[in-house]
Amino acid sequence: MSDLKVDGFKTSEIITELSSVFESISDEERKQQIKKINGIFQLEVSNAEKQTAIWTIDMKKTGTVYKGPAKPKADVSLILSDEVFAQLAEGKLNGQKAFMTGKLKTKGNMMLATKLDGLLSSAKAKGGKAKL
Amino acid sequence: MSLQGLISGSECAVPANPLSQVLKHTEGDRSLQHDRIAGPSSGRLHHLPGTSTGHVNERDIAMARQFFEGSSQGSNAGPSFATPRHLPNTEMVRMGEMNSRAGLDNEAWAKEQQFHKLAEDSTVHAAWAAEFGSGTQRSLPGPFMQHEMNVRPDYQQSPSYMSVGGMYGTSMPMGMYGMNVNSNMYQGNYGLPSEQGRGKGKLKEADFEAAFAQAAASFVPAHAETSRIVEIDDSVTNVENALADTQAGERSEFTEVWDQLQNSDIPPPQEDLTKWEAEFNQFMTSHREDDLDYDFGAAMQEAFQSGEHTDFQNQSSHPKFDEDGLPVLSAYSFESNNKYLESSASTRSFLSDAKSMLDQNGSLSDAALLLEAAIQKGDLGEGGYEAWILLGETRNMDEREELGMRALVEGVKRAEAAGAAGVGKLSLAISYTNESYERASYTMLLRWMRARFPSQTIPEETANAVRNHSAWDVHNRVTEVFLNLARAQHSQGTLDPEVQIGLGVLFYTNSEFNRAKDCFESALSVLPKDYLLWNRLGSSLSNGNKPEEALGAYREALNLRPTYTRAIYNVGVACLNIGAHREAAEHFLSALTMQQSNNGETSDQLWFTLRRAFIAMDRPDLAEAAKPENKPDLELFRKEGFDY
Repeated sequence: MSDLKVDGFKTSEIITELSSVFESISDEERKQQIKKINGIFQLEVSNAEKQTAIWTIDMKKTGTVYKGPAKPKADVSLILSDEVFAQLAEGKLNGQKAFMTGKLKTKGNMMLATKLDGLLSSAKAKGGKAKL
Repeated sequence: MSLQGLISGSECAVPANPLSQVLKHTEGDRSLQHDRIAGPSSGRLHHLPGTSTGHVNERDIAMARQFFEGSSQGSNAGPSFATPRHLPNTEMVRMGEMNSRAGLDNEAWAKEQQFHKLAEDSTVHAAWAAEFGSGTQRSLPGPFMQHEMNVRPDYQQSPSYMSVGGMYGTSMPMGMYGMNVNSNMYQGNYGLPSEQGRGKGKLKEADFEAAFAQAAASFVPAHAETSRIVEIDDSVTNVENALADTQAGERSEFTEVWDQLQNSDIPPPQEDLTKWEAEFNQFMTSHREDDLDYDFGAAMQEAFQSGEHTDFQNQSSHPKFDEDGLPVLSAYSFESNNKYLESSASTRSFLSDAKSMLDQNGSLSDAALLLEAAIQKGDLGEGGYEAWILLGETRNMDEREELGMRALVEGVKRAEAAGAAGVGKLSLAISYTNESYERASYTMLLRWMRARFPSQTIPEETANAVRNHSAWDVHNRVTEVFLNLARAQHSQGTLDPEVQIGLGVLFYTNSEFNRAKDCFESALSVLPKDYLLWNRLGSSLSNGNKPEEALGAYREALNLRPTYTRAIYNVGVACLNIGAHREAAEHFLSALTMQQSNNGETSDQLWFTLRRAFIAMDRPDLAEAAKPENKPDLELFRKEGFDY
C-alpha cells in the first residue's frame, strides 16, 4: 500500500484511500464493479511543481490500483492536475465539466473516462463517510 | 489573400487604411465588382476559421506593404468600411459572449459555425462588400482563432484597447459587456496592421509589442478620424446606390436573417442550459450502457450460472429510479425469527412497549423487533403509519439504512393516505442523502415543505425542475425555497428547527459542510437534547475534514443515547480518518456487537468499514476473517486483543 505514495501529491492520498477501499470490498462486489466498469484507467497527474506521477486503476482484470503506467495498455489515459483530481474525488468538480473546460484531457476511450466519476464517488460513499 | 491582413486592420483605424486607394480604383471599375458579387464571394467564404495563422498574417502584411508602397496616401475612401463594421463587431460580441461563458462547448461551436455560414451568405448586401467583403469576412475569424489557440498574455497588458471597443461598440451597445479579454486582444490586433500601414511598414515581427504601445497612443487621433468618417459617408452611399439594383433583394433578406440570428443566438437562458445538461447526461448514460459491448447471450448465461441469490443482491445495490429520482425499493422484509412474535400470548401492545423501550435507552435492535411484531400484528398506531415511521427511524439509528429506508417509504405512503402528509418525509430525505440518492432527497424535501408549509409558495418551475433538470440546478432551486422560508421565519423572530435541518441536509448533499454545521447548530439551540441532531452535527464536521471536532459532537449524542449505533459507527469513521485505526476497529466491533445482541442481522456497511480499518492496520488476515459471508464470531476479535 505504501508503494502508492508519491510525495507532494494530494492524489497520492486519494489513491491510497481508493486502494484500501478496493482491498476491503468483498470479492463479490469487486466482480460486480469490474463487470460494470470494465476498463483500465491511467492517470497522469502533474502538480504545481511540474512533477508528474502516474497511477493506474485496473477495473478490468484485477480490480486493483498501482503506481506507474498501465500493464497491459490502458483503455483510457487521463491527463490532469493534482488539484483537479482532488476536486473530482471530493465531488466538487464533475468530470464532464472538467473535460469541457479543458482541465481534464483524455487519450483513448473517452466514454470510459466518464465512468471514473462514478467509481470515485462510489469509493467515497463506501468508505469513511459519516452518516447523518 | 495578401490584402486580408490589411483589411482586417481597417477595423481599428479605418481612415488611415491604405486600402482606401484600392477602393478608389474599384469605383471606376464596376464590371469587376458585379462579377464578384454575383458569385465567388460567398463561395470563397466557406473557408472556416483557423486557416490563417499569425504567421501568415505577418507575411501578408509584408506583401501588402510592397503593393501599397507606390500608391499615394488619401483618406476619402476609408469610410466605406463604416457599414461593414456592424457585422464584424457584433460577431466579436458574440464570440466574446461565448467565451465568457464557462463552458465553450461543442454546441456553442456548432452555432458559431452556423453563424458564420449565414453571415457569410448575407455579406453581399453592401457596396463595399463587392471588392473586399470576402476578404474581410475571411480574415476576421483568422486573428480571432489565433488568439483563441495561442493566447499571448503580453497583448493583454494594454488596457487602452478598451477605448477602441467603446468607440466601435456604439453600433452595438451590448458589445462592451460581452467582450472579454479575448476580444480586446482581438481588437488590439487590428490596431497593429493599421499602424503598420501608416508607419510605412517599418514593423517587424519582433516589434509587435512596441507597436502595441504605439497603437495605444494613436487612439486619440483615431477619435478625430472618426468624425471624418461621417463627412465622407456620401461616397459610400454612391457606391451603394450604384449597386442597389443587384442587391436590393439580398439586402432585405440579410436584415431578416440578421434579426433572426440576433434573436436566436443569445446564450440560452439558464433553464435551457440545465435542461440541456440533464439531457446530455441522459444521453451519456444511455450511451454508456451501449458502450459496455453488452453480450446478451453471455450475460444471460452468467446470470444463470451465478445463481439467483447474487442476482437479487445486484438489484438491491443498484436500484432503479422513478421519474422523480426516487429509488424503487422492494418491500420491507421482516426479521424471520422474531422472538416477540413467538411469545405473542400476552395482550400487551408491542407498539407501546417499543416506545417505552426507546424512551428508556433500550437496545435499538430490540425496539425494532418489537415494532415489527406490532406491525405484523396490525397494531399500527396513530393513523396507521406511526409504527412504520418509528420502525424506519429506529432502523436508521441502528445503522440499518436499507431497512430503515424501506420502512420509511412505507410509513410516508401510509401517512399521506391518512392525511398527515408531512410526517416522516424529513427522515426519509435524510435516509436518501445517506445513500447518495441526491435527487430523491431533493424531491422528498420539497414534498415535505409543501406538506408542512402549505402557505409557502413553491414556484412551478422549481417543482418541474426536480423532474427534468440537472442535479446542481435542482439543488440551487430547492435551497432557494428553503432559504426563503428560513428568512421569512427569521424576520418573524422564530426559528423552526425542522427547516434548519432541511437546509442543513441540503448543504450537506452539496458538500458545503460548514454551512450544514451552522444549520444543525442553530437547530440544536432550540433542541439541545436531540441526540440525532448532535450526530448530524458530528457527521457534518467529520465529512468537512474536522474529525477531531466531530468526536465532541458524537460524545454529546452518545451521552444522551448510549445505544445509538450510528453515532458509534461515526465515531469509528472519525477515528479512521484521524489515523487511529485500532480504536476505529474497536468502535465498529462494539457497534456490531450491539446489532448482534439478539441474533439480529448485522449491517454490511459496518463489516465493510471494519475491514478497511484492518487493512489500514496491515492485518489482511483479520480483514479476511471480517467478511460477513464468513459469519465471523465477534469473540475472535476480542481474542486478538481488541477491547470493546
